[in-house]
Amino acid sequence: MGLGALNTGNNLLYLLLGFALATIVVSGVLSEGALKGLSVRRLGTECAFAQEPFAFRWGVFRQRGRSWALTLSEEDCPLTGSGRIAYLPSGAEVAVRANMTAPRRGPLRLKAVRVSTTFPLGLFAKSRLFDLPETLWIYPRRVPPKPNQGDPDGGPLGQRPNPRHADGDGEVVSLRPLREGEDARRIHWLKSATLGKMLRVEREREERASYLIRLPPGLPAEALEPRCEALAALAQQLLRDGHEVGFESGATRLRPASGAHQEKRVLQALARAGYEEAEG
Amino acid sequence: MRISGQRLQLLFRDLAATAALLSMVVSGEVPGWALGTFGLTVTLALLNVRPFARFANPSSVLLVFGAVALYSNVAAGRVDLVVAACTFAGLLTCHRLMSAPSPSTDSQVYLTSLLMVAGGAALSGELLFAACVTAFGALATLSLGLQTVEQSREPGEVVPLRPLLGLLAAGALASTALGILLFVAFPRLSWNVAAHRSGAGLGRATTGMSDGIRLSGAGRIKTNPRVVFRAALSPDPKTKTLEAYWVGQTLESFNGIEWSSGGSSRLRALDELTLGPGGGKLVFQQIETLPAYGSRTVVGLDRPLGFSRGFSHLQGSDARVRFVEQRGEQVRFEMEGTSYSYRVLSRPAGTGAQPLSPASRARALQLPPTLDARVAALATSVRGTEKDPLSTAKKLEAHLQRNYSYTLELAGPVADPLANFLFERKSGHCEHFATALAILLRTQGIPARVVTGFYGGRRAGMAYLVRAGDAHAWTEAYIDGRGYVRLDSTPEDSRSAEPNAVLDFLLQEYESLQLRWQSSVLDYSMKDQAALVERLPLPGSGTSPNAGPALPKATTVMAVFGLLFLVGLLWRLRGWRQAPTEEEATRFLAELERLLKSRGHPSVVEEGVEALSRRLEHERHPAQAPLRAATRRYLEARFGGRPLLRGEARALSEQVRQAT
Repeated sequence: MGLGALNTGNNLLYLLLGFALATIVVSGVLSEGALKGLSVRRLGTECAFAQEPFAFRWGVFRQRGRSWALTLSEEDCPLTGSGRIAYLPSGAEVAVRANMTAPRRGPLRLKAVRVSTTFPLGLFAKSRLFDLPETLWIYPRRVPPKPNQGDPDGGPLGQRPNPRHADGDGEVVSLRPLREGEDARRIHWLKSATLGKMLRVEREREERASYLIRLPPGLPAEALEPRCEALAALAQQLLRDGHEVGFESGATRLRPASGAHQEKRVLQALARAGYEEAEG
Repeated sequence: MRISGQRLQLLFRDLAATAALLSMVVSGEVPGWALGTFGLTVTLALLNVRPFARFANPSSVLLVFGAVALYSNVAAGRVDLVVAACTFAGLLTCHRLMSAPSPSTDSQVYLTSLLMVAGGAALSGELLFAACVTAFGALATLSLGLQTVEQSREPGEVVPLRPLLGLLAAGALASTALGILLFVAFPRLSWNVAAHRSGAGLGRATTGMSDGIRLSGAGRIKTNPRVVFRAALSPDPKTKTLEAYWVGQTLESFNGIEWSSGGSSRLRALDELTLGPGGGKLVFQQIETLPAYGSRTVVGLDRPLGFSRGFSHLQGSDARVRFVEQRGEQVRFEMEGTSYSYRVLSRPAGTGAQPLSPASRARALQLPPTLDARVAALATSVRGTEKDPLSTAKKLEAHLQRNYSYTLELAGPVADPLANFLFERKSGHCEHFATALAILLRTQGIPARVVTGFYGGRRAGMAYLVRAGDAHAWTEAYIDGRGYVRLDSTPEDSRSAEPNAVLDFLLQEYESLQLRWQSSVLDYSMKDQAALVERLPLPGSGTSPNAGPALPKATTVMAVFGLLFLVGLLWRLRGWRQAPTEEEATRFLAELERLLKSRGHPSVVEEGVEALSRRLEHERHPAQAPLRAATRRYLEARFGGRPLLRGEARALSEQVRQAT
């Protein structure tokens, strides 16, 4: 259009050229307005497994004015994926969600969040960087657990399960008179007061095993990764079955325990395996 | 009905494409079959009917047919290449509009629309083009903006459309203003060689200026408000209306029903044509005929002396055109054109008398063979004892003006229209009056003829506009020693156009804008830029002796005040926009208090909503949660600069109502 205007001197082409250039300028101004006054914080994720999409969130806030058509992504980092928000009102923080994927296990250095917009015309993108240095630990890739999970550990931290064995921490089995030397904390005070003699509670011992997962230190990288993945799968399988799982690798040691929190601790320990220097 | 953002975006896109199509159509150059296709497509698109959505590839064959048809027309010389290219861009747009909407389809629509707008710029310089371009820019901005936001929207996310559209509209307005500024400032490196002042226009030409006049015509043209030519006069009379006669042709032969010129054979063709000697105070005219004129006859103020610098505008090419003199003092353009521009020099009527040749005198005295005997008797009775030919002519003129009325309603074809007018209906239009006077004069031995052309002119800007309805016919009588003298027996009030008042007003305003558009945009050049730069109050321009004239002080002061006023107005508007936020919050509070009072909490008036909210929270009242939310939103809206959204106040009140 510009060449046509210059070549022919047609004023209407000059007018169109003027409108086109003005549209580009105004588009830039409106884009800048959409990014003005933004503040961003990283809400992160609950857990992130390598090579598997996970939910990642940022909190975006703007005190005054509105923003339109924002796209958020992590800058200069191997995390792939971005979050979008069509409208950001003033004075309210909005959580932007994205499905991100990390390529490998271990620490992932997050440097900055890039907020970009193509508003209003979708022809040009304008962006702004928010420096938010942080480390995201990526858990080992999820693989199916192997069928042979090995023997549970013996010793004081783990006992062979015996459903008939009382004096555990499970359901109430019976009440019986308190013998001498027995722990007074087992006394059922209400029944004892009712019957006028000291009675103690007998509880069922739950059937569960205690496992200790060991990762040999100093494994080469090509062997470490599959080992971590296999151990993570094993730990998750055992914990899901209600067992207690502990972890040991070099100086890192986790006492066997059960539950979701323990699963997280084991996965974190596995994520850190081989990256102790980076952690330090 | 609530319209979704996606549907609205599509509607804006279709309307933008329509505006782009129209920007091309207003040139009047687009073939009729293409116009029909455009019309059908746009109608279907606006109804959201897209028949090609399921047949995207097979339907492309239609485009091939379109391309072949256009190429054939170009090869045969029936269609200009630029017109064909623009039309094909239009067909592409139509195909895309009929296809399933998608981001890529949208982009193609915008691109082809832009091509059409550029094509329109090459085809026409009409003011309507400016309107179409502005509409296209605004609608495309709205559509693109909505599309961008829609693409960023997660499923279920609610986007308020009103503030978005407001922002986009403001952006479009700013783009237009900045675009105009860039247009003015962009350096012109070449002269305008491709701009067309006007296209062929959309309507048919209305005046025609045929070789003769037939008295059985109905004269409907009198109500036609279309402008047929513009004329800038020098010296400028500076009056609002012009009471002037524009001569087109003279007619001498009358057969009882029809007038024809003495002969139409070509005498000479020249770049500059002079018809006779000058005399008196000469008037210079720069005339531009418009497509509505539809004739090659050259008009000029009575009495035209010479014509020069004629240009013909046809299908986008401007070319010099020669003037051809014909018998009957008629001058025509040699070449066919959509419109023409030329210069005329005229002397006042009644000056520069020339002797009448015997042949001309014989023609000017010729009576039709079937002339009713009562005509001569009427002339004799009106003349009475008057001997002077001029006085006789004036008496006959006055008689007709006094005793006959003007009308456009005629009975239809009659055997003797002159006798019918003079003795039966006693009413007619200007051609009847002119004919009657000419024949009455001839019966008295005074040479006379009928002249056709235009009467009047309305001022618009620096020029006068003459409409199709200003077409007029009058009489000229030859008086020895004075030459041809103009006589107009048509009642004075009925000589000019009689268009509908509203239509006339609108067209007048449109023409004023068109003239401004032409002078400010189409004719804008390096020269205007240089003049603008000279007028700018640049630093040191006042001290340099060679510097151009500085901007007048008063103008500078006015410009500064204007700017300050504009800034103040915008600031004030900003304040007005914010004010309702607080008012709305206060209204919400009042509504909340009224509600709580009616629901068993009369103490709210004394203790206030905030204190009541805290107390209910302490008491674990079921209404504490909704009341706390409502109180918080009120505080945010009133003091936190976070206005209540549409319907939010009602929703919060409803929650409190249900809980209490």
